[in-house]
Amino acid sequence: MRRLYHRLWGEMSVISRRQYWGLIFVLPAVLFFVVFFLYPLVTGFALSLTDFTLLRPPVWVGLDNYLDLLKDRLFLKSINVTLGYVFGSTVPTWILSLLAALLFYQKFPGREGLKLLFFSPLLPSVAVVSVIWVVLLHPSGILTHIIGPFFGKAEITWLHDLQLSPIVIVVARVWSVIPFYMLIWLAGLTAIPQEMRDAARVDGANRLQSFLSVELPLLRPTAVFVMAVSTIAAFQGFTLQFVIAPNKGGPVDVNTTLGIVIWKYGFQFFRMGDAAAVSVVLFAFIMIITGMQLRLGRSDHYSLN
Amino acid sequence: MRRTGASRTTMPYESNAAFEARLRKRITRLILLSTAILVAVLFGFPMYFMVVSAFKAESEILATPFRWLPEEFVGIAHYEQAFDIAPIGQWYANSVFIAAIQVGASIFFGAMAGYGFAKFQFRGRRLLFALILSIMAVPFQILLIPLFVLVRQFGWQDSYAGLIVPGLLSAFGIFMMRQFAYSIPDELLDAARIDGASEFRIFMRIALPLLAPASASLAIILFLFSWNNFLWPLVVVQDPNLLTLPVGMTVFSQPYRGDPIVGPAMAVSTLATLPVALLFIFFQRYFIAGMMVSGIKG
Repeated sequence: MRRLYHRLWGEMSVISRRQYWGLIFVLPAVLFFVVFFLYPLVTGFALSLTDFTLLRPPVWVGLDNYLDLLKDRLFLKSINVTLGYVFGSTVPTWILSLLAALLFYQKFPGREGLKLLFFSPLLPSVAVVSVIWVVLLHPSGILTHIIGPFFGKAEITWLHDLQLSPIVIVVARVWSVIPFYMLIWLAGLTAIPQEMRDAARVDGANRLQSFLSVELPLLRPTAVFVMAVSTIAAFQGFTLQFVIAPNKGGPVDVNTTLGIVIWKYGFQFFRMGDAAAVSVVLFAFIMIITGMQLRLGRSDHYSLN
Repeated sequence: MRRTGASRTTMPYESNAAFEARLRKRITRLILLSTAILVAVLFGFPMYFMVVSAFKAESEILATPFRWLPEEFVGIAHYEQAFDIAPIGQWYANSVFIAAIQVGASIFFGAMAGYGFAKFQFRGRRLLFALILSIMAVPFQILLIPLFVLVRQFGWQDSYAGLIVPGLLSAFGIFMMRQFAYSIPDELLDAARIDGASEFRIFMRIALPLLAPASASLAIILFLFSWNNFLWPLVVVQDPNLLTLPVGMTVFSQPYRGDPIVGPAMAVSTLATLPVALLFIFFQRYFIAGMMVSGIKG
């Protein structure tokens, strides 16, 4: 046995023997992800085909969980809520972050200092953002003081109002992510060679024309990246709705996103099978967006240094 | 050689057209500046509100019109009250501890795997790297339920192991480390091989010291991932002493025993943002670069 081993090992050249060290180096990571990524990914699909309450072993039910979802009022509502949140938060984010990038791309005195102030929403975690906005949205707080007079109101219950609460959650969201997407647009704008703009100007284009015909087409990879990343992130909306909205996704489920449904089914009702089925639906939505992103163009790779 | 005076001084006479162009430029700058001030104040306000409210008397925080500075400065009273209401110190320590281990492990094993992927041509390399890439495309919410079931089977519910282990390695970290590892010169590695160093020793003594400083942005981003993580700690622990800061601090979004605790809420929010703010101030370039490649805020 030992001789055989030595013969095989000896026959490999020093170089190819060395290459196996690569496998040894990647092995810890690969094993880790087999246990904490691949295995859960597969069992997630399997769990969605069972009834499982954590107390007894899972019971195979086939596609029943999915068929139940089609009649599930909370789930169907959460699809609406999620799509509304995705649409409501992404489109303003794209436009406003691009406008902010165009603004801070210009040269004017004090630009760097103002940019830092503008970047401040990059710092807080979503939990902090939630706690701050609960205070800003106090019924007789500062936002009521600014906006209330236009509607003749001294008190606005932002978060308990069925129409207003999804809107203010979108506002909090848009506020917290715009500086990030602005950075991405700004990097895209900075990467456009000045000669291309100059060429357009020489040809007699004004600023707007030069923006529309030179910069905007060159920003296409950036646009695809911004649109895909923001949409995928919005589909996973959870923390704001969980913390800001009354009763975790309320009032009356108007802020119950797919993520909130997964949490409720899984950790409030312990219906792990149903929760896993909702996860698979969410996965399908996100894979569609990812597929579209890959089709529309590969995202830019920004260098770290 | 004598300098001619004329070229050094501004032109005494300016044509009308030049004057107009200069004026237009100034007006444009003024408009840009005032728009930028408006936008910056609008976006900066909530953070300013947070910091300043922590020093205001409770009744003053929600008072309108907004007071830019506290009329009655309460010092650190709200900070003290926050520590009385909830075990903030414990949560803070938990978050720091978890982040330290997760960042350290992600950097070390990320460097090891990234180096392996970049510098060796073993069989199955493409397939295994495709696995790493696919991890980045699958959002965490998809894994939440099965990962919880798995961690529960391990008996890790309500434990540091449950909080830490699933986030011990980062696929994004491996991806970035692989990029960095490509820039390590092969000559350097070969020289060490000729000197008879073992492959593991070469990694520890040559590759790792070269990769670690290159990963400043990566370390910052991994810290943010860990420090801001909400969903996983929310489901995996119930024990109040094991909560992390983001999950624990949400109790401050509700009144405490019927009394509003806006001041302490803003104090805790400030504390939770402080480490990130310090990173931003001292490592701004790395911070921003890291955010952009990771898409963390998305």
